[in-house]
Amino acid sequence: MVENYVILPCNGLDKCAGVISRELAVKLCENNKNEIICPVFYRVAEAKYNKIASERPLLVIDGCQTRCASKLAAEKKLTISKKLTITEEAKNHNIELKRNLRLLENENALIEIILNGLNNTKDKITLFSDGTKFVYNFEYATFQKDKFIFRLPKNPEVYFNENDCWAYVIDNRARIGVTDFVQKSLSDILYFIPPDIGTEIDQFGEVGSIESSKSVIELISPVSGKVISINETLEQKPELINENPYELGWIAELELTDFESDKELLIGFDKYFEIMKKKVEDFNV
Amino acid sequence: MSETTFMGVDRDRIDWKPTIDYSKCDYCMECVKFCPHKVFEVKENEEIQLIVRNPDNCVVFCRACSKICGPDALSFPDKNATTQRIKEIRKELASNG
Repeated sequence: MVENYVILPCNGLDKCAGVISRELAVKLCENNKNEIICPVFYRVAEAKYNKIASERPLLVIDGCQTRCASKLAAEKKLTISKKLTITEEAKNHNIELKRNLRLLENENALIEIILNGLNNTKDKITLFSDGTKFVYNFEYATFQKDKFIFRLPKNPEVYFNENDCWAYVIDNRARIGVTDFVQKSLSDILYFIPPDIGTEIDQFGEVGSIESSKSVIELISPVSGKVISINETLEQKPELINENPYELGWIAELELTDFESDKELLIGFDKYFEIMKKKVEDFNV
Repeated sequence: MSETTFMGVDRDRIDWKPTIDYSKCDYCMECVKFCPHKVFEVKENEEIQLIVRNPDNCVVFCRACSKICGPDALSFPDKNATTQRIKEIRKELASNG
């Protein structure tokens, strides 16, 4: 249920998704329990909104992947509690958005679907993970570039893909996350979109995404399996990914489905450490 | 700048690159600003102002540019087919010693 939120919508009035964002925000405020932030006015007169923005949870509604509303929230140093993107919602519900700037049948249907979803949000169900399998006594290797120190765990049960994600594998379970290369490239991580619990993920499939004011990146799963748990702490404290992406900043836990086959396209510490060093040099993180 | 292999397979044997849908692209150039691998090239003063110049620079399985594309104009090949192809090539390489 979205109640007592402040809502920061995209206000892109020259795009269908922007018009939908605005209408959705207006509808969410009709119960008088939520309050809207006008992004245009916020840019020129932030005093009006600063107090409510700091006191209440914030729902950001982006129209499209340009993420203007999210970027504005980052610029104003607001903590995002919940967010959605209209074009992604349209894709997920197989609704095609065109270029019309008036709300027609499709757009109104999408708004109703999103409203129902927001108003019927249930607590997330964790399947059958108690997390006790994963003991963190990692030994780390480090190297330094300028003022930045990059760490990498040397534990043989931690595997990597060349897409800068790791999997810590114990029996038929794996915790996964990103390496220092990702978190330092993104800089301050502001938002974490977890995968849905119960989702079957292929190797190299998307397993959530993380956003900073610089960019948004999808996490490319090193292993295939079913998501049985997510790191819910990250929804309130995504900065843990910056602080330690290998331990407190883990992303999700998977029940593995074909690890023997996945291993063919995974690498260990020695190889990935060299790859990460080269990337750091090449891209001047 | 770019990697020449991915999991031991020559990069030019792996079909992984963005395709631009010019009916959607509005030439905002966010993808150009985002991609550090110089996959895209801007063609100023031409009718088609953006092209995929260096497809083999694209990081295999990365779709980050499509995630930031407002008009949703970028698409990628099927990931599972690409994974299978990489495994096949690796088998070929292993059997050829």
